[in-house]
Amino acid sequence: MNKKTPPETLVLGIDTGGTYTDGVLLEYNSHQIIAAHKSLTTKRDFSIGIENVIKEIELKDPSAIQMVSISTTLATNAIAEGKGKRVALFLIGYDPDLIDSFDMAKRFATPHYYYINGGHDLHGQEHAPLDLQNLLEKTKAVKNKVDAIAVSSYFSPRNPEHEIRAQNAIASVCELPIVLGHQLSTSLGSVERATTAALNASLLAVLQEFIIAVRRAMEHRGINAPLMVVRGDGTLMNDEFAAQSPVETIHSGPAASAIGGRFLSGQDQALVLDVGGTTTDLALIKDGKVTVSETGASVSGYQTAVKAANLFSIGLGGDSHITLERGNELCIGPERVVPLSYLSHLHKNVGERLKALSKRGWPAPYPRELEYWFLQREVSDIHSFTAREQQVIEILKSGPKPATEVLKSLGLLDPSQIDLNNLWREEITGKSGFTPTDILHIEGIHSPWDVEASQSALIVFSHYLNWGEDEFRRIFWELVTEKISKAVIYFLTEKAIPAKNEPIHALANWFLENTLLPQHDQLETQIKLKIPLIGIGAPAKEILDRVARILNNELILPDNYQVANAAGAVAGSVMVTEEILIYPHLSTGDIDVIGYFLQARDGREEIEELEDALNKAKRLAGENALSAALRSGADNPQVDIEVIQDGMDSYRIKARAVGKPRLEG
Amino acid sequence: MKLNKVDTDKAYQLLWEKITSLELKPGEILDIAVLADELKFSQASVREALSLLIHDHLVEAPPRGLYVAGLNFDDLEKISTIRLNLETLAAQQAVRHATKDDLVILSTLCEEIAQDTRELFVLDQHFHQAIARATHNDYLEEMLQRLYGLSKRLWFLALPYLDFLPSAVKSHIKLVDAISEQDETRAMEIMGNHIEEFYLKIKDIIREKDLI
Repeated sequence: MNKKTPPETLVLGIDTGGTYTDGVLLEYNSHQIIAAHKSLTTKRDFSIGIENVIKEIELKDPSAIQMVSISTTLATNAIAEGKGKRVALFLIGYDPDLIDSFDMAKRFATPHYYYINGGHDLHGQEHAPLDLQNLLEKTKAVKNKVDAIAVSSYFSPRNPEHEIRAQNAIASVCELPIVLGHQLSTSLGSVERATTAALNASLLAVLQEFIIAVRRAMEHRGINAPLMVVRGDGTLMNDEFAAQSPVETIHSGPAASAIGGRFLSGQDQALVLDVGGTTTDLALIKDGKVTVSETGASVSGYQTAVKAANLFSIGLGGDSHITLERGNELCIGPERVVPLSYLSHLHKNVGERLKALSKRGWPAPYPRELEYWFLQREVSDIHSFTAREQQVIEILKSGPKPATEVLKSLGLLDPSQIDLNNLWREEITGKSGFTPTDILHIEGIHSPWDVEASQSALIVFSHYLNWGEDEFRRIFWELVTEKISKAVIYFLTEKAIPAKNEPIHALANWFLENTLLPQHDQLETQIKLKIPLIGIGAPAKEILDRVARILNNELILPDNYQVANAAGAVAGSVMVTEEILIYPHLSTGDIDVIGYFLQARDGREEIEELEDALNKAKRLAGENALSAALRSGADNPQVDIEVIQDGMDSYRIKARAVGKPRLEG
Repeated sequence: MKLNKVDTDKAYQLLWEKITSLELKPGEILDIAVLADELKFSQASVREALSLLIHDHLVEAPPRGLYVAGLNFDDLEKISTIRLNLETLAAQQAVRHATKDDLVILSTLCEEIAQDTRELFVLDQHFHQAIARATHNDYLEEMLQRLYGLSKRLWFLALPYLDFLPSAVKSHIKLVDAISEQDETRAMEIMGNHIEEFYLKIKDIIREKDLI
């Protein structure tokens, strides 16, 4: 008798975080993780780290893989670091005085913005004729200075005619890609729509190059499967959709982590904490779904109209830099560095030097002597760097050096005297220092690298502060626990946590402090989280254990919680929403309703009776959502339709098509 | 709706540009693996892009291997005959169907000033595409676009010996006038002369310099 095993459905999930790019090979139906791989994230070009994962992860038969799905901080990072392409933004019918008086121009995410006459009103009537002549003159003047063009017209979700006419005209005088506001957002917030269009335009080429590189890496490994990309709300879209609307991938990394936590734990109500190398990200699971932010995603201070998971992130992770600030205050993060244990694991002499430093009597070693700089990769064209940069590269060629020593040989006292941002950003040089990961090494919890190097660093720190080593560790853990617990309270209450010395109500402050760090002899205060914590990410177990105790609920660590983020990249559904607007056609003087306009993504028509308009809109929205979901890779998508009254005689018909991703064998 | 994948699309654009600008020479062997490596694309996307270029008559696929399509004098005759007729038809249709927006676009294009011959060629191309669009006939627009790829190679062949194009801009201005005045006959005549003059020059140079 031989038992029949069900056929395996293998999928590959990849998550690019701030520090690591994780990959998991997963059996889709059983949620079983078959193989996992970790590789360093390459911020200068994310596709390199992903290529490494695809190349290295253990696969018996690459051709058996039926889907590859990626969550990526690519878009978020490109915006934060100004790596997006240059964009010209045309604002049709926007009021320059209004924008100026509220100082909103800096929210447009590009310095090249131009006001053009035109636009519509709330009822979709032309507010002013479109000044095509001016639009074309401006296009001609700017076309050689930018890489893409974005157009947003006033009330374009009500009537996109001016955006469409502008697109036709611009396409006649140049070959640049053009993004229209109404295609990305049906919300009426005109500034957010313009920002969204401009950011999308700046990211088009970035995401396109990324997809081309990933497809090539898949082919090299012999993987022939659909490629999906995670959206900021954790749902999936295929690569073709992603290439058109890259702005939707903002925050996709943390969203995938949250979904991964729910997917592997099966919990329907929980708080997910993803402890990465650089940050700890919080997300809330309610009724089995990741909660979505009411307002659009915001990134680097730009408010967009893009739907994204409700997330909160603090700059505290396993590889956060532990430093002393003014007044010898212990600080953790937000800067991320390579743990000393790891640097010493790669370079034996670093460990030897650290040991010597810890034994030095006079002058007493300073914690800042623990910061090491090192060469991260070969430099192919040394002449593209400034003289100072070349000096630093030269000094580090013989191996990692303490930052103090590098500065000294340059005749400098302080790192602020020299601008090396280019070297860090291009990942030519790297920084190493004392981190939570080193403390985990010392405690013997997680110690794959050089424990002795971590130990030496701890000695330097504790001697300098006149603390015992155990005392240092106790204070360190209290600080970590307090930071994360405060983040949880802030995230769930949306009440700001005051800085340490900020005066708030004395009793409230005492309650909070005494709860997070019990210190009163007679009074005990407690807080209780009503839902469990789900911990994910490599250091989650150790770091969150204490947080769960403070918050009085259990910490759930699902199987393979270390790579749940990558599992989350494949766990989402494919979803497409389509919206149609119905609003009245008013007689002159806005007195009588003489009919209804039905405004879909690509055209407007007039229907006399509201009943007919609603029926037609429901049918059309449903059909559009269904076909878009099929095109973006959904298997057997289900459609649900919602009619929302949106002001007098105005309706928003929203169709949502959701399905599991279609897998191809 | 876009039918091709992003990478196929991009690879197609790159290869189209390389072939029509003669960077890849007529008759040159096209090796998919080599091209994919050079351009940093997957082989699948390069293969798909090349099959689109076969359809454009820019790549040939004899029983073995792939080559950049050859160029010969016969082709020049054939292409110029069709283009002359289709462009004249486009001028007529533009008179009939051009919108106010089209006229604004066309006059803006006439005002653009090129710095060199190559730029002038791009402007000329934008102008002809705008005329094609002003016909509001998708099929006509698509046919003209395909012919453009073929005749661009001939133009690049003659490029080093050309110096006559500035006069073409004058006929652009006259053509826009004719369209806005709804003068069908004059529009067709101007376009006909404009195209004919272009091909006569090209033919002369190619024959004289023995370029094919």
